[in-house]
Formats: sequence, C-alpha cells, structure tokens
Amino acid sequence: MTSNRMLRIAFAAALGHATLAAADDDWMSRFSFSGYGTLGVVRSSERNADYLVDQFKPTGPGFTHEWSPDVDSRLAGQMTLKVSQSLTGVVQVIVQQRYDDTYKPEVEWANLKYDITPDLSVRAGRTVLPVFMVTDSRKVGYANPWVRPPVEVYGLVPLTHSDGIDGSFRWPIGAFNNTFQATYGRADIKFPLPVSGGVGDAKVRDILALVDTLEHGFLTLRLNYGQAKLTIDAFDPLFNAFRQFGPAGASIADRFELKDRRAEFVGAGVGYDPGAWFAIAEWAQFDTHSVVGKRSAWYVSGGARLGALTPYATYSRVKVDSATSDPGLPLAGLPPQLAQTVAILNGALNAQLSFVPAQTTWSAGVRWDAWRSVALKAQYDHVRRDQGTNGTFGNIQPGFQPGGSANIFSVAADFVF
Amino acid sequence: MKARVLIGLSALLLLASIESGARAEDVVAVVSAKSPVTSLTQSQVADIFLGKASRFPDGTQAIPIDQPEDTPVRDRFYTQVAGKSPAQVKAYWSKIIFTGRGQPPVQAANGVEVKKMIAQNPAAIGYIDSTLVDESVRVVSMK
Repeated sequence: MTSNRMLRIAFAAALGHATLAAADDDWMSRFSFSGYGTLGVVRSSERNADYLVDQFKPTGPGFTHEWSPDVDSRLAGQMTLKVSQSLTGVVQVIVQQRYDDTYKPEVEWANLKYDITPDLSVRAGRTVLPVFMVTDSRKVGYANPWVRPPVEVYGLVPLTHSDGIDGSFRWPIGAFNNTFQATYGRADIKFPLPVSGGVGDAKVRDILALVDTLEHGFLTLRLNYGQAKLTIDAFDPLFNAFRQFGPAGASIADRFELKDRRAEFVGAGVGYDPGAWFAIAEWAQFDTHSVVGKRSAWYVSGGARLGALTPYATYSRVKVDSATSDPGLPLAGLPPQLAQTVAILNGALNAQLSFVPAQTTWSAGVRWDAWRSVALKAQYDHVRRDQGTNGTFGNIQPGFQPGGSANIFSVAADFVF
Repeated sequence: MKARVLIGLSALLLLASIESGARAEDVVAVVSAKSPVTSLTQSQVADIFLGKASRFPDGTQAIPIDQPEDTPVRDRFYTQVAGKSPAQVKAYWSKIIFTGRGQPPVQAANGVEVKKMIAQNPAAIGYIDSTLVDESVRVVSMK
C-alpha cells in the first residue's frame, strides 16, 4: 500500500491547486499497486478425512496432509487506475489452492467504477458478490480478526464474485449512514465433486443481490437478500435415470434436479466495534429448492484488543432445514432387475441428500499485530459434527465416524503491501 | 458450561472497555476559517475520515486530509475519534481498498501542510496538534 502514497501526494497537490498540471500529466501517478496474502498451516486431529473449509477445496489437513498449507495460504495483487476523478479501474489477481489442486492465478475482480456523485456509484465487470458482512474481505486475512471467517456461515455461499453490474447508493437516515447496494450478474464455477469425485460445473445465472448496510458510530447492521438460477450438470445422469420411471420418477427429478433452479439467500448481521473490543454476529439461510437442500447457519464472535494482542472466541453452527432422506421410488411390484436399478437410484439420491455439512464449532484464537502490515494468528477449533453427518469433512476414508468431533489447529501470517 | 464461557467473555470485554476510557486531548479537528462547519460529533468526524460519509451534516461536500502513518498525531486522532489503533485503521482500509470500493483520504506531509491545504479549500477537514492552530483554520468542537 505504500505505493499509494505517491498517488495520494499527487491528489494532495492537485487539491491544493499547487502542482495540478504536473500531477495530471504524470500517468504513472494514476496507477497504484497493492496486495495482500496469507501464509498458514492447519492440522486436524481427524486423520480419516480432510477438513475442508469450503466447497472449492479438493484436499486439506487430516488424511491428505498432516500439516496443510493449502487452507489459508494465498497471495493477491491489485492494480488500480484512476482514469479521472470519477472513473476508476481495478484488477485483482489471486493465487490460491483451486478446485483442481493447482495454484494457477485467477482474476478475482476486474471492473470499472464510475462515481456519479460521491454517494452514488456504478460498477461494471467482475465485482465482489456481496453476501456476508465480511464478504468483501473474506480472503484478506489482515482485515479480519480470525484466521478465516467462520466456515459454517461463509461456506454456505462460497461464490465470491459475479460478472455483471452493480450500483451503490449512500444516504443518511437519521443518525445512520445507510448504504444500499444492488448487484446483477452471473458466474461459472468449477468445484470438486464430493460424493462421486471428479470436477463439477455450476452455472449461476441471473444473480440478483440486494444489501442494505446501516452504520452509526461503532454499530453496523446489515440485511441482504439474493437469488440466482443454479444449474449443476453433475446431477443430470441421476435425474435422467429417474425420468425413465414414469410420472413418479419425473416428479422426483422435478423436485430435486438443479436446472435453472432458483436458489434464494437471506442474511442478517450486526457488528459493534468500539476499538477496545468487538462483537459480531451473523445469521444466514440458503435454500436451493433442490437435492442440495436448504441450510441455515449463524455465528457469534467477540474479542478484546489488548495492545497488539486480540484474543477472540467464536461459536458457529450450520444445520440442515430440509429432509436428509427421501423414500424415492417405490420398489413394490417391480420386476427384480428393475427393482435393483431403482434401489441403486434411491441410494444415490439419499447419499446426496445426506451429504450435508451440519456441525458446530467452538473457536478460540489470538491475533498479534507483530509488525506494521503483518499480523500473526493462532486459532484452535473444536468441531462437533451432527449425528450421522460428515460435517465439512471430505475425502472420507475407511475408519471415519460420521458425527463425532475433531480439533483443528491453525497458525497464519497475514500481510498487506 | 456455555453460559460460563459467555460470562467470562463478557467480563473480559468489559475490562477492555474500561481500560480504553482515557483519551488524549491535544489533537484537534480543523476546517477552513471560511467553512460554515463549527461543531460535529466524534462519530461524524470518524465517518468522514473512514470514508463512510462524504458530506458534512449540512449537506456540503467534505474532503478529509490525513497525516502520514506512524505519526503520533495521526495515531492519537484515530484512537480518539474512532477508537481505532493504527493497526485497526490499516486493517479497515485494507478491507475497502481490496474491493476497489475506495481509497484512504489524501495525505499531507505534516500539520503545517494540512493547514495550507485547508486554507485553500473550504470543503477540507483535517486534524492537527492544538499548538499549530492559528487564524487560517477553525477548530471544530467535537461532542
């Protein structure tokens, strides 16, 4: 961020009308480069499965690695170009573990922002998809107290960007600063398939996200609603097979398949941060109206800032609000061979329905602002999976017990530049 | 067990908030002598410097002018009006910058430069050591 200083000095000069011409002519002064990153390792006491913090992670600590550097480690660089006083371009490139276990760079944001007034702006291109309170900075470890935002809530919607347009309007309501933001866009994402293996594609279309943020002093309130049409082709073979079995099979396919299925999201959050301490809580519900089900999650977190140390504690929970099993097609009256096929289909449907990350985590950790622009963190999580579920664990090996608990230990160094 | 943890946590938080009660008084927010602004609340000043508000309460544009990082006057100012340590201010701006949503205020080299910039722009607001106050600027009384 130090390279911003040149830009700021140029603005300061322009503001003072002193060397306006010189600053205007110097294109280099319109560029600023900044970046952030995290170096971290994570260990899990569960050795018969990997602890996966979101749906994009193919591997993690536990079975694949004793100490995994892939969970939180990342590096991002951002170029900002101030084209004019009201037009700004930004490109952010990020390197982190991808769905295919590689570290290929990806474009996280690339957009043009036009400030119609200081309180009304529009953006076009790839922008952040505003879902949660710290969505904007969920990957910027330095901006957050925790090693990572609570996985139960932030794992509900792992999508971080949308290609399209957004607008932001700010106006005062009484003593509050109110900001309303609307986003419309689309996204194509790839992710490792949890049950069958391989890579899945998700097409997310007609994303509409509405967020209202009220701020007054140390208090922040946030409400959001989002919807999108979701298509995941990986489920097609299963539901195409169900469709071979008449109206009953078609009705199951209609209920569960993910083809242009409208998924809905609602969320609310409150934060209070007077400096010496902070408290934050969020609740969210994501309903896919499909085989992926309906889930809700929340967390409560708080911490104290004691000099350079910020000890904190978090309680977070994700649960399933839809059925985790279904009777499927009746086997009665079918010839033995067909009955066997139907039993397999019913089994596959129920395997998907029961694949729900329901769990509770107690976390305690400390952030140490060790040097300027560098924070060191250590965090301990006690994860209790709901009875019969795998929680956020994947790459399940023989010997793994659904339900049960695990201890996760993480250390991380977050930096900005 | 859960209740006990929560009680322990809130006791810790309470302790921390008492400790932060002390405040320095030798840094003042200033505007141009020509500005109509005479008084603001601490939270209004904080909002302007944190990019949460772009206008004074009377609706006119507000342009904040910062001082360099690692200067005592800057650290005292943010602690006093926003309750934020230097590291917290940096963490706050890294949140805003890395979405392309905004940039921190323009920065003057020192308090004297702040006064110069304010004298030339009635929309500007800055903060300086109280010993630097002269007739070119007006101290904003903070509630």
